[in-house]
Amino acid sequence: MATLRSKDRAVLEPFAEVDPAKSAGLPPSAPLTIRSLDVSSASDSKTLVYVGTGGGKIVLLSVDPSSPSSSSPSPTLATGNGRDSPASIASSAEGVEFLRLASVGSRVVESILVLSEIGRILVLSGGSLFIVDSVLSQPVRKIGVVKDVTAVAKRIPCSEGSGLDFMGDGASKGEILSSGKKLLMKLGVGIKANGSGPPSSEPPREGRTSCFVAAAVAKKLVLIELMLSGSVDNDSDNNGVSVLSKEIQGIDGAKAMAWLGDSIIVGTLEGYTLFSVVTGKCTPIFTLPESSGPPRLKPLWRSKDVLLLVDNVGIVVNSSGQPVGGSFVFRQPPDSVADMSSYVVVTGNAGIEIHRRKTGACVQSVSLAKHGSGSLIVANDDQGSGEVVVIATPYKVICFRKVSAEEQIKSLLRKKKFTEAICLVEELESDGEMTKDMLSFVHAQVGFLLLFDLRFEDAVNHFLLSETMQPSEIFPFIMRDPNRWSQLVPRNRYWGLHPPPAPLEEVIDNGLMAIQRAMFLKKAGVDTTVDEDFLLNPPSRADLLESAIRNIIRYLHVCRNKVLLPPIKEGVDTLLMYLYRSLDLVDDMEKLASSQNSCIVEELEALLDDSGHLRTLAFLYASKEMSSKALAIWCVLARNYAKGLWKNSTPSSEGDSLDISLGSTSGQKIAAAEASKILQESSDQDLILEHLGWIADIDQELAVAVLTSEKRINQLLPEKVLAAIDSEKAELRQRYLQWLIEDQDCEDSQYHTLYAVSLAKSVMEAVYMDSRNEDKNYRDIDEMDNSSVEARNSHNHLVREKLQLFLQASDLYDPEEVLDVIEESELWLEKAILYRKMGQENIVLQILALKLEDSEAAEQYCAEIGRDDAYIQLLDLYLDPQNGKEPMFTAAVRLLHNHGESLDPLQVLEKLSPDMPLQLASDTILRMLRARVHHHREGQIVHNLSRAINLDARLTRLEERSRHVQLNDESICDSCRARLGTKLFVMYPDDSVVCYRCYRNQGDSSSSSANGGRRSLKKGIIFKPGWLVSR
Amino acid sequence: MAGAGNKIRNAKLVLLGDVGTGKSSLVLRFVKGQFVEFQESTIGAAFFSQTLAVNDETVKFEIWDTAGQERYHSLAPMYYRGAAAAVVVYDITNAASFTRAKKWVQELQAQGNPNTIMALAGNKADLLDARQVSAEEAQTYAQENGLFFMETSAKTAINVNDIFYEIAKRLLQGQPAAQNPQGMTLNQRPTERLVNASSCCS
Repeated sequence: MATLRSKDRAVLEPFAEVDPAKSAGLPPSAPLTIRSLDVSSASDSKTLVYVGTGGGKIVLLSVDPSSPSSSSPSPTLATGNGRDSPASIASSAEGVEFLRLASVGSRVVESILVLSEIGRILVLSGGSLFIVDSVLSQPVRKIGVVKDVTAVAKRIPCSEGSGLDFMGDGASKGEILSSGKKLLMKLGVGIKANGSGPPSSEPPREGRTSCFVAAAVAKKLVLIELMLSGSVDNDSDNNGVSVLSKEIQGIDGAKAMAWLGDSIIVGTLEGYTLFSVVTGKCTPIFTLPESSGPPRLKPLWRSKDVLLLVDNVGIVVNSSGQPVGGSFVFRQPPDSVADMSSYVVVTGNAGIEIHRRKTGACVQSVSLAKHGSGSLIVANDDQGSGEVVVIATPYKVICFRKVSAEEQIKSLLRKKKFTEAICLVEELESDGEMTKDMLSFVHAQVGFLLLFDLRFEDAVNHFLLSETMQPSEIFPFIMRDPNRWSQLVPRNRYWGLHPPPAPLEEVIDNGLMAIQRAMFLKKAGVDTTVDEDFLLNPPSRADLLESAIRNIIRYLHVCRNKVLLPPIKEGVDTLLMYLYRSLDLVDDMEKLASSQNSCIVEELEALLDDSGHLRTLAFLYASKEMSSKALAIWCVLARNYAKGLWKNSTPSSEGDSLDISLGSTSGQKIAAAEASKILQESSDQDLILEHLGWIADIDQELAVAVLTSEKRINQLLPEKVLAAIDSEKAELRQRYLQWLIEDQDCEDSQYHTLYAVSLAKSVMEAVYMDSRNEDKNYRDIDEMDNSSVEARNSHNHLVREKLQLFLQASDLYDPEEVLDVIEESELWLEKAILYRKMGQENIVLQILALKLEDSEAAEQYCAEIGRDDAYIQLLDLYLDPQNGKEPMFTAAVRLLHNHGESLDPLQVLEKLSPDMPLQLASDTILRMLRARVHHHREGQIVHNLSRAINLDARLTRLEERSRHVQLNDESICDSCRARLGTKLFVMYPDDSVVCYRCYRNQGDSSSSSANGGRRSLKKGIIFKPGWLVSR
Repeated sequence: MAGAGNKIRNAKLVLLGDVGTGKSSLVLRFVKGQFVEFQESTIGAAFFSQTLAVNDETVKFEIWDTAGQERYHSLAPMYYRGAAAAVVVYDITNAASFTRAKKWVQELQAQGNPNTIMALAGNKADLLDARQVSAEEAQTYAQENGLFFMETSAKTAINVNDIFYEIAKRLLQGQPAAQNPQGMTLNQRPTERLVNASSCCS
């Protein structure tokens, strides 16, 4: 990504310039040299600037950063109203007002510190510290506790947890920081300096009312607490400020100082040292290399760090003396440093440099060479917003204000430096100065600017990067206002850097005009902001339009995946379709139309119809569940294909790649397929039946699929369907009936009969055709395509098989009706099945045995009938086929062979005709007779075995009955528990004994067990080992 | 180590070495995977951070790439103070830079934290034709002084990631249960580490 060059940026802009001497009304004979500077923001619109001079004077100026911007300060006189002094009239710039002049003696004012906590100003001049109120309204007072001060620093309270524990000291930071006073208490007892009571006598005050200052004096440090006293009178000496101090020895030659929390960082000619006010230890941070300048350091209030300078290098360390981040490398050794949150401003000999805190990169440099040489001093309000930065040359004060990020970006955008602008926004965002929303905002703004610059791809890329941009903002570019979505378009003009939205055509026309103009201007030598590429290769309108549409399509395409409000979603989809159409992207249109979409059909209907995108329209109708309209289109399309009209009436794209003939058949198929897809889901019976016909004409399978679809909620009424099916479409009818019967388990005999009759008719037809074809075959055998004959044969075969299977399987059809159809035919097997259903055994057997000569089936049938006479009947048929047929001896013998044993030999013999050759029958008869004997003997064996078992059982019974049982006086009935005594009793096989009465009551078959429960001997049969027949 | 889980451990790492040995190039290669033929001389120090996953732990290196110029030598202690690791870099094509590297090692041993893991990197290993410092010599020196040694090339990326990975590994081995949020203190006896170091590099 391109980096921002410093010349692109303007972080600071000057807004006022003032000569303090003039504004203070001093005569030119006594010029002021500015030696020190500090700034304090009193309010949003008022910033106080303290200017310390070489002659011990302090000039207080008030600056209004919100005054109208003027990069070159205008000489308009300020209309200061506060003071009538000539100074205010002499103010050379709007927004700067001279307030007051104070004097601290005649020596150089080396340093001014604004102590905003107590509303005072601390001034270092001639080695002494002076204190004065912030508006210089009261006399300046000297702080007497110190003299020969070389450096002074204000304590910057560090928040807890900022790494004070660098020495491993366990002191609680909270304790140190909770109250300023405790700090000095910790260091030792505060020295009473000004007659105010000891600190312990007063309750600890809020941190705001006191502040700490460190002063370097010769070989020691003096830590001073400045406290706002209750009343001004009490301590008039120090402007109502009481002073406590503590001396620390052993720190020598401090030239610069910063106080962060518990650490004082001291810069001496040798280097930088960290002094801990908690432990009293000194730790060197680093030493300065030889022949480097004096130590300079700047506390960075916001990050609680300190910037230490070595030559032109700035090193940031934290309050533990640990380095933080990389070094700053300035172009020149800085004289003065200011901290602007994410920037560091330094001044050197020639000008100002502004560096980013995060990367150290220089983002802006301002040359102030015209103000003459001499060191520049920079200051801003560390603790305030820091928006106003004041630079002092030896004689002038120049006020800068921070250009808001927005303005910085805008100015880049106006210059069409889009990459730079985005770069800046990202930088600002990473610095936390700008929200993510703002980044999105700028991306959108840049996108619109690019759009009007005809750089559509880049524009959309930026739109896509904007998270807040609404897709509806693009709508006015696609469809002229007013339209259905006009109300939805947010009135977001961003920074108003681009013209209001207009249809793309207009945008392009205007853009092209601008290019023309720019070319003309360029020839005339005038610079323009128009893209160089466009000037060199002027784009064609058509190319631009296509690029615009393609890119907007890309944008809308991405938007489709976002979560959008339904009306916006509709807009996106509809306009996407609209754009697809304009580029004739048929595939995309159809894809969109046939997928889940939110297109508004009414908006597109006419358009698509006009442009002949009927397929898309049909898909669209279908996706919107406007089935009848969709079907009507498919129907028309199918018809058109069939008539070959399509190639005339469609745009070339549809048929481009397709061979026309191929296109028409496959087109027809597709139309039918799509229609059937719709109908499969539909429950609208009338609609289905209306379109069934033409679908079936094109593809029977599709029609079947429509009728047999199980996707619909309400099934169709069979009678309606059957009535609607063209009688010529027997197969369709059959397939429907088959589905009805087989898949839907329809048990209405009417349909079963209908199915059977229909199948039978088909078979009959096929048979008829076959017979005709056979004749034909003799003649045109060569002409017939073998494979087609085969196919037809196999089809016929299948139908017949189907008929047979159905006739076999179903019991619900009316066999007579079917029989009527096939009566005349040779469909014997079918007839057999039908007669069988009708119970006409004899006819069945006749057919099986004589017509089909399928003796196996005949025998099988006999077995099914299960009566012996069936075999006899069959035998009879074999032996006397009548109608002049020869007796079928082989079959008869086979029958006898297989089932002879179950036939009565006498009957058989009677049936056997005298014509039958003996050698044929003898074997069989022999076998039959043998089987008879065998059968008889087998019977005898079984009989005898049974008798043996019977005997055994009787023996066992006898044994059971002859069992003995011993009773004594104690014996009781197992049922009534009465003593048996001499009573009659009964013993059951399970050894339970009951009295006779109980036996009578409970009967033979249930005993009573010893514990009184009953047991049914019939249910729980008892077997004893001895009872089993073992012999 | 299991207890440490997937915590990110911060580790301050400092690169020291003579001017022009390729400290910045090494860091640039490690952090951004880039190499610039004419890398500007570092002034002060540059700061980078890069995380490295070692097994199931993550080490976040806070890398201070110091200036090699003698003028900024006095800044170095600030950077190596409290460092968990130091990479002393020399240029294998420049014998003087090796001598300077030895001085850095001495200084670290004298002034630095005894727990700092020290690595010696012989950079510009791609310039074999111009070699002035043999690998054996450096290896011997490293062994004697308890450093681990690798010859690296920022240009060809040889051993660059490896040397940082090795440091990360040693850091994690060295402080199994360090709970120091700054991740800069190592609580391991130096002798043990020496044994580790020498055995690993032999």
